[in-house]
Amino acid sequence: MEQQNVNNYRKPLQWGELDPNRHRNMFVGMWAWMWQRITAVAIIFLLGLHVTLTYKPWLQFLLLLAVTFHATLGLRVILLDFNLVNVKYQRALIWGLTALGLVIAGLIWRAM
Amino acid sequence: MAQEQGNTRKVAIYRYDPTVGGDGHYDHYDLHIEDETNTTILDVLLRIQREQDSTLAFRYACRVNMCGSCAVVINGREGLACKTNVSDFAESKDLTIRPLNHFPVVKDLVVDMGPFFEKYEECLPFFEPRDMSEEPAIIRPDSIERRAIGFSTECIACGCCVSSCTMVNYHDGYAGPAPLNRAFTLLLDSRDALYEERLDRVLQSCYNCRTEFNCTEVCPKEISCTRSIKFIQRLAIKEPFRAKAKSKAEAAASAPAHGENVAAEPCAAHASGEAGQCGCDENLDTGRRNFLAKVTVGLGAVSALTVGGVLASTFVGQSLDKKEPVWVPAGKLGDLKEGDVTTVNLRYVENVGFYNQERVKPVMIYRNQEEDKVVVYDSRCTHLGCSVHWDARQKLFLCACHGGAFELDGSVKAGPPPRPLATLEHRVENGNILIAMV
Ligand code: SF4
Ligand code: SF4
Ligand code: FES
Ligand code: FES
Repeated sequence: MEQQNVNNYRKPLQWGELDPNRHRNMFVGMWAWMWQRITAVAIIFLLGLHVTLTYKPWLQFLLLLAVTFHATLGLRVILLDFNLVNVKYQRALIWGLTALGLVIAGLIWRAM
Repeated sequence: MAQEQGNTRKVAIYRYDPTVGGDGHYDHYDLHIEDETNTTILDVLLRIQREQDSTLAFRYACRVNMCGSCAVVINGREGLACKTNVSDFAESKDLTIRPLNHFPVVKDLVVDMGPFFEKYEECLPFFEPRDMSEEPAIIRPDSIERRAIGFSTECIACGCCVSSCTMVNYHDGYAGPAPLNRAFTLLLDSRDALYEERLDRVLQSCYNCRTEFNCTEVCPKEISCTRSIKFIQRLAIKEPFRAKAKSKAEAAASAPAHGENVAAEPCAAHASGEAGQCGCDENLDTGRRNFLAKVTVGLGAVSALTVGGVLASTFVGQSLDKKEPVWVPAGKLGDLKEGDVTTVNLRYVENVGFYNQERVKPVMIYRNQEEDKVVVYDSRCTHLGCSVHWDARQKLFLCACHGGAFELDGSVKAGPPPRPLATLEHRVENGNILIAMV
């Protein structure tokens, strides 16, 4: 009897499939994580293009942006992992480090 | 924000009937609520069950955020039904209530917490005193240890955090945030005797966390499991040093304890082939970590030696003995075009480290008899070393790629090259021009 019940369990909802509000489950920390993955793939792709299409300013700019986002978000995770920054500042770290990264990227772009 | 006439909410509730099976669906209800600030989602569920659909199944016990049994996903976000007020959602919003993620659904909103508690148990969630004492232990609330543990002991095992964590979905072996948080509170407890065993178990798990903070966002008790996991990860960094120091101390005392010296001397159950039943099976995993560490170090050492050797023999080896230039004849001076650039292919034999190699190298010679001047230009661009040729029509040296261009005097005209073209030493003997190749 017991066994039969177990068989009738519905498999777990994994992604909140069927839930019209499931996107509400993406919090800013998760976006940061996703964005870091996306920029990682973008860097590989843009690096490939950079080697084949040399001296295309728009390409270099995109690559610089991708590297900036990837590096700043990575830095955030490192700071949190080693507890160099209290986890309660995780949101501030995203905006703070990204802003800092963009400023540095801007300076690099101007100097190039 | 009390409302006078109340509001009618549309409520969608996930339904699953185990006797029917399938994927489940949403049933829609309209519910008139007098005072939304005083009405919890649990009240909504109870009213629907009483007034509209007695077959609706959900779970609750304490109604005061203490037992954790009423955890559901409300409008996409995990929470306790008894803690969430209807007024937490904008008046115009419909309510959607469904069971937690990553738990098998028993019926409607009721999920099977079995797998969750199995993982909880894996992390040894109980306290085992180090010293048996009749007196209650004194823990100062302002001690570093107590403050580091903070609110983490408040967990009511509701499962909201596990439901929100996407990594639980990806890694079957991942204990998940709540068990790791529980383990953390005990790992930091200096009175606890199970430090080693517990740490060994959670180390297998703690690196599956990707620092998403989903668990922290949804926890109804405002515990940050992410913080707890980061603490465990930091303990993990210290672990190899600690284990080493300990095994050294033990070797000195020459009294190997169970679980410390397994690599050399497996325990009785292991020896008799009953691994996994002896209570020290976590050592198998330690073995795997040791193995991986050794492989990594070994591969690293081999590749470092190989790369280092190649680099040393090509760069350092060659530059150690001073090389004499080879004077390569480039033809008669008189044959070169006057006031213009001639490209000549030099053929010579170069000694490369261990062997000799025949080389053909183009050089560009500028001759101006009026100024009594001969300049020999290297044909390698100063940017990335691409080959440069003389364009007689534009009177420019052009690089084959990257858009570099040099003037007749070798200075940069356009493109990325940082320096003028390199020149090569030459001398004239009996009207023959000789060029130094180094
Ligand atoms: S940590 Fe929070 S969300 Fe997770 S089980 Fe405990 S109380 Fe629930
Ligand atoms: S922070 Fe870690 S444990 Fe928490 S939800 Fe993210 S991956 Fe899961
Ligand atoms: S009923 Fe106990 S926590 Fe909600
Ligand atoms: S009185 Fe029950 S937990 Fe404090």
